[in-house]
Amino acid sequence: MKKILLTLSILFIAGFLFADVKIPVVSPYTGPLATFGEGVKNGALLAAEVINKNGGIKGEKVVIDLEDDMCEPKEAANIATKLAGDKDVYIVIGHLCSSATLAAEPIYKSAHLPAISPASTNVNIGKLSKYYFRNVYKDDFQGKFLARYADEALHAKKIVIFYENNDYSIGLKDAFVKEAKKRGLKILGTEAYTQDDTDFKPILTKYRALRPDVIFIPGYAPQGTLIISQARELGFKCKFMGADGLDDKIMLQNPDAEGLMITTPFIPDKAGPEAKKFIEMYKKKFKSEPNWFAANTYDAVMLAAEAIKHAGKNREKIRDYLASLNSPQKAFHGVTGATYFDKYGDCQKPAFIKVIKNGKWVGAEIQLK
Amino acid sequence: MLLQQLVNGIVLGCVYALIAVGYTLVYGVIELINFAHGDIYMLGAFFMYTFLNFGVPFLPSFVLAVICCIIVGILLDIIAYRPVRYADRLAALITAIGMSIFFENIALLIWGADIKRYSREWIPHFFKKLFINLPNEHFQNVFLTVSYLQITIIVLSIILMIILHLIIHKTKMGTAMRAIAQDKRAAALMGIDVNRVISFTFALGSGLAAVAGIFIGMYYNSIYPMMGYIAGIKAFAAAVLGGIGSVPGAMLGGVVLGMAETLGAGYISSAYRHGIAYAAMIFVILFNPAGLMGKRKVDKV
Repeated sequence: MKKILLTLSILFIAGFLFADVKIPVVSPYTGPLATFGEGVKNGALLAAEVINKNGGIKGEKVVIDLEDDMCEPKEAANIATKLAGDKDVYIVIGHLCSSATLAAEPIYKSAHLPAISPASTNVNIGKLSKYYFRNVYKDDFQGKFLARYADEALHAKKIVIFYENNDYSIGLKDAFVKEAKKRGLKILGTEAYTQDDTDFKPILTKYRALRPDVIFIPGYAPQGTLIISQARELGFKCKFMGADGLDDKIMLQNPDAEGLMITTPFIPDKAGPEAKKFIEMYKKKFKSEPNWFAANTYDAVMLAAEAIKHAGKNREKIRDYLASLNSPQKAFHGVTGATYFDKYGDCQKPAFIKVIKNGKWVGAEIQLK
Repeated sequence: MLLQQLVNGIVLGCVYALIAVGYTLVYGVIELINFAHGDIYMLGAFFMYTFLNFGVPFLPSFVLAVICCIIVGILLDIIAYRPVRYADRLAALITAIGMSIFFENIALLIWGADIKRYSREWIPHFFKKLFINLPNEHFQNVFLTVSYLQITIIVLSIILMIILHLIIHKTKMGTAMRAIAQDKRAAALMGIDVNRVISFTFALGSGLAAVAGIFIGMYYNSIYPMMGYIAGIKAFAAAVLGGIGSVPGAMLGGVVLGMAETLGAGYISSAYRHGIAYAAMIFVILFNPAGLMGKRKVDKV
């Protein structure tokens, strides 16, 4: 008994000496977009494991604190308030959905708490606060890139857009339409839907006789998969394009989605040596292929650890450190390539197109330079 | 285009009607708005998924899923509603909302949050075939596709509606149900086993919800724990629109609501489709508070 007490007290004291560094990772882990959160969670846990194996942050262990915002702005604001008031939180990784990030942003800003979003692509996020950074591209870049791809690689002439009524989807749609118009592509129509919609036939029926070449869906997978299936059922022969929001395994299970093309910041079969190592570790630990959410979150956690190591446990100094990574020379090198920030905290990242072939994501044959 | 929109609208309407009938049935007998009904519909889709996943063929899976839902429905009544049967009506209503949340979270726990699909091999080929597929060599400019699944949904809901009507009006059990609807205590005095008849009502309603869940799961091929919520609200609106308590009213209400939504989305604005559907409901209720086929109650002094 005495021995146990002794060991316990030693552990207790040791725990005090080597206090942990808590890094909160906010994302939907339940709800309809929980599958996105899966990649985020795995990427974060793997990053913490690697950091801790290499001695942690100056000897202190990194502990990942998973916070579930269910992709709801209301819930995101609650979590942000909690984290902002927590003295042991120096930096936040998250959120995933743009609407959630936009809701949390002013709260972090007033608490001077820096945050890195690995996945929110809405255009306005960077401009609204100097405490928000992200290691993912923006929707205006993504939307423009997709319009370019529709024109140069697919030679599409007539396009229909189905977008969800949220910050992410509208931003993408606007950027796509702007670029498409510049290139002289014809947008037959833009149609909004909500998260609760399951029946798209009335809207699809409207466009059938117009025979579009491409249907662009800048939304999320739960509705995307329904739109594609219902379009095929109505006899549409067009191609389907989407953005990173459609990157979900439900798409692979849908035989109608064969040939779907989407943007991605990360393609496993076109990855560099650093990324190859990451993919191997990931596969060994989680028995599945990492998606871009996992890769970006892995990088974001690594970057956060790096910032705490250099700047110490001080919110303001961590922000300044991140802001100082402002040129390719000073960039942070991770599995998704170099990350450095412009004056808004946004970053330039290459984009790729991947396509579903035989129920698997593969890099598309034509990639834009 | 109009032709296709009408087909879309009728199928969506029949889907709403199938769920709405369960609402209206329970309401008609014990004046309880069973908010957990939408979740029974969700459970139907998931039970079907589970059985198919275990390799049970289509028809036995279908029967098993419906039986499971009937059992859940009866248990729901015995465990949740029976203890508050003679209490204030508000108590039963709150219980119903609680049960709805309970079922949603149980489903989240068992099946997880991500969307499930019925795999292509599980579903008989018959449903995938097209009943009408235009344009063809005779019709160059007409666009119309109707699948056998859509036809099945329409025919099935009509058949179920007729059977239900016969049960209510031609059988002993149906007579007992109507007696309880009039006056629970008087019915009990006449020797009717009130609890048994109400359990039967729940069984009937839950069975219909299961059928709806399974066919909608197949139609949209996307099932998830929260699917009952929105469908439940729409079906409830359909039941109110048709006159809650009236079975043919629920059918009519469902079709009217489905049509309003489809035509609204197709011709006015896709962003306001739900708004248009609910506006149609409010419009009808404003002029005819009892709903399209509901009976107006006259309170005697």
